Amino acid sequence: MSHPEFRHIGQALPRKEDKRFLTGHGRYLDDIEIPGALHACFVRSPHAHARITAIDLDAARTMPGVVAIVTGRELAQWTTRHRMAPPIEGLHAVEMDSLPIERVRFHGDPVACVIAADRYLAEDAAEQVFVDYEVLDAVTDMHQALQPGAPLVDETLSSNLVSHQHAAFGDVDAAMRSAHRIVESRYSQHRQTHVPIETRGCIAVWDEGREHLTFHVGNQVPHPYRTMLAGRLRLSESQVSVISPDVGGGFGQKITLYREELAVAAIARELKRPVRWREDRMENLGASTQAREDFCRTRAAVDAQGRLLALELEILEDFGAYCFYPGNYLARVVAMILTGPYKVQDYRYDVKVVLTNKVGNAPMRAPMAVTSWVMDGTLEAIARELGLDAMQVRRLNMIEPGDLPYTMATGEVLRDVTPRETFEGVLKAIDYPAFRARQAAACQQGRLLGLGLCNVVESTTYGSAFYKSAGIPGSGHEAAWLRIEPTGVVNASVGLGATGQGYETALSQAVAEGLGVEPARVRILLGHTDIAPYGMGSRGARGGTAGGGVLYLCAQDAQAKVLAIAAQLLGLSEASGLRMVDSRIECAAGEEWSDTGLSLADVARVAYLDPTALPAGVAPGLDFNRTFDPPPMTYSNAAHACEIELDPGTGGVKILRYIVAEDCGTVLSPVVVQGQQHGAVAMGLSGALFEQVIYDKNGQNLTGLLSDYLVATASELPDFEIIPMHTPSRHTPAGIKGMAEGGVMGAIGAITNAVNDALAPYGVVAERQPLTPMVLRELIRSRAQEN
Amino acid sequence: MDDRIPLRLHINGSDHELSVPARKLLSDTLREDCRLTGTHVGCEHGVCGACTVLVDGQPTRACLTFSAQMPGHEIRTIEAVAEGGRLSPLQQALHEEHGLQCGFCTPGIVMTFEAFLRDHPDPSDEQIRDALSGNLCRCTGYHNIVGAIRKAARVMREAEGSGHVAP
Repeated sequence: MSHPEFRHIGQALPRKEDKRFLTGHGRYLDDIEIPGALHACFVRSPHAHARITAIDLDAARTMPGVVAIVTGRELAQWTTRHRMAPPIEGLHAVEMDSLPIERVRFHGDPVACVIAADRYLAEDAAEQVFVDYEVLDAVTDMHQALQPGAPLVDETLSSNLVSHQHAAFGDVDAAMRSAHRIVESRYSQHRQTHVPIETRGCIAVWDEGREHLTFHVGNQVPHPYRTMLAGRLRLSESQVSVISPDVGGGFGQKITLYREELAVAAIARELKRPVRWREDRMENLGASTQAREDFCRTRAAVDAQGRLLALELEILEDFGAYCFYPGNYLARVVAMILTGPYKVQDYRYDVKVVLTNKVGNAPMRAPMAVTSWVMDGTLEAIARELGLDAMQVRRLNMIEPGDLPYTMATGEVLRDVTPRETFEGVLKAIDYPAFRARQAAACQQGRLLGLGLCNVVESTTYGSAFYKSAGIPGSGHEAAWLRIEPTGVVNASVGLGATGQGYETALSQAVAEGLGVEPARVRILLGHTDIAPYGMGSRGARGGTAGGGVLYLCAQDAQAKVLAIAAQLLGLSEASGLRMVDSRIECAAGEEWSDTGLSLADVARVAYLDPTALPAGVAPGLDFNRTFDPPPMTYSNAAHACEIELDPGTGGVKILRYIVAEDCGTVLSPVVVQGQQHGAVAMGLSGALFEQVIYDKNGQNLTGLLSDYLVATASELPDFEIIPMHTPSRHTPAGIKGMAEGGVMGAIGAITNAVNDALAPYGVVAERQPLTPMVLRELIRSRAQEN
Repeated sequence: MDDRIPLRLHINGSDHELSVPARKLLSDTLREDCRLTGTHVGCEHGVCGACTVLVDGQPTRACLTFSAQMPGHEIRTIEAVAEGGRLSPLQQALHEEHGLQCGFCTPGIVMTFEAFLRDHPDPSDEQIRDALSGNLCRCTGYHNIVGAIRKAARVMREAEGSGHVAP
């Protein structure tokens, strides 16, 4: 795909990052050599909930290579506590110790940190730290956590309900009273975790002479992270540099400042020696952050044709034991954007977030992932109850082009989206009538085919105005700088944190377009807070719109100055008849453009080395800065279609075909975007079919290995067919909309709808994920027993 | 626990004289003692495949192998695949087909399939996916990796057919 008006944006260039990764010369955290670095290993709670009554360090201290052992008591003197108290209605303020001192709240909670000469020795010594616990009752089920008398996860709160928000728009009660039918449906999404193939880790290097901390950590938001780290250590931002090297995946797990990382930084400063930490996979699965676990219920008021008259949503989310983020942070967005591409103005929601004795939650690629399953699932439930075709019910309720801009009941505004085009696109590709015929024929032979559809409206780029209206402190802006060097090569930087997205390629295309140079001339510098401008980093799907957008604008500023200087050098009174293409200055001659003989290098040489030749009022050098705050919210849209075969004998699901039509506006790099589409769909399918963090009733995590926590392999996933669509946003630089999370949203909805389509002959409905063979067999058996 | 033992390991065509603790994993020895950090450690229990190296030509989990087991064996790591700085057909195809994103799992996949393509010059997609199921990738969804392997096989067959020896 390429946009006719762009020369570099939209070109399918292979990635600049690849060569170092393909040859084993990437520089991930463990590849950074720090002479004399000590190694940290954490002692973790074996109990889900317990009082720490004593910690015996004597045996561990005498172990070979041990340098120090630090508990929460020491760390409390060296750091400040974490306070999470944004002024949000219905959200309770909470605090947490830097490491637990009195009480542990989940299986895996860190209670001490052993520092030794190498990682083997640190692990040996950690086994010799003896902690006495008084075991307390734990609560691991979110429904039970709300019962009177449930064990309190946070003793400073009066209940486990840490956040509760509700809102109503229009007159839901009136619509419910007059409705032809009220259709209720339920959705249970299970607990999952991010599983970056590179686990968490960090290296802290304290420079005693300069009183400065260099902190290497794979992180998505290096600048906000630095502000938090400096504050917790009682240092200024000038005393901390965060360097984020090549990162082996993040998916939302590498945003917050973890207690382990703070501990390593504080200990390095106390010991005045470098300390490094690499968590092992068991810690990653059982003690980093987790996501997604929630229960949703909708009640839809409909007329006899299946038209939505009013909608009610309840969400109960299990947030785990600690608030690394505000409790409302994830679930409230689901409530705000639930209705997506469908028209309904009478709407209300109720969102409760509870604490339990499990790992604390974090956003995971598409924190609002459940949205599209719940919304399209609701339309499926309506169709089932009224005996209609769910595809037609979707068509009936969908926004049409003439409805745009469409203001959702919650006030969110959809502009420049094309849900009808993407939906009709996948229906045509899958040949909907032909599938139904094929399905009927297969059914005759005792084979169960299913088709799942799911429409997605993905909230991608959150501007500062959205944060403010949602009551979340923070900003959605992004920052960039660009420098044309004296030889005419270009360096540029932005506040994003790369974790594999291919920013060095895609962002160089944004710069190349805005400035008028070749992408190969542009180097993108990321992930070093002494180099990058203070931006808000990589979260959600903001990289393209906020990061690409600000670089594009900054590059346009740069081009304007280059052309102004070029005009002077060419003896022209103004630059309006000039442009730069691939670093050559061209001059308009009627309809044609001709080379002026001047290059960017010529202009750069004058700007740096002959500034007296510059036009009056033009300052020497070619350095540029820019910040950009995107619109309150930018949306992309997509439709997914998934064809499966369900084996009624085993409950196994085989994906036969997977199609996505996605409209994410102008695309910087179609290579990167297609990779993100594949990866997001894969994560959604893997989560919906296989992955599950399992805690037993005592709060023991039973999925501490990758052989227990099952991630889909190449054998379980299908080829993906993508139908690209590109309706530019008229409200962002270059029309970029952002993407990379919607694939998860669509996949979990499409696969579940497909399974339910296949299950239809049994008259049963899967209301919970994961859709494992055991779960599906149980559903089939339940029906068989009834008959 | 300082039970260091002397070892001579033959890695990427060179001998390495080392002294390492008896329990030290091959993955750690390669990374820390031989400074071959292209072999990545993703799970340390043999599931993710990121640490895959070739031992006597066979894909092997370096995280499940003790260094002390390795004298007398031929070890090949990712650093030796691109000869003279020229990407192998597999590496080149992964680049062209966008078969990698964060790159952390990539060395393990390259090592697995350098061996696989040697033994399976004309694999079916099912064979590729089956062999790839021992390497976890969280970024790509595998689609482009499968396509890249298919392409590499074709390029290598064509080079073979035209009389050129595939690198």
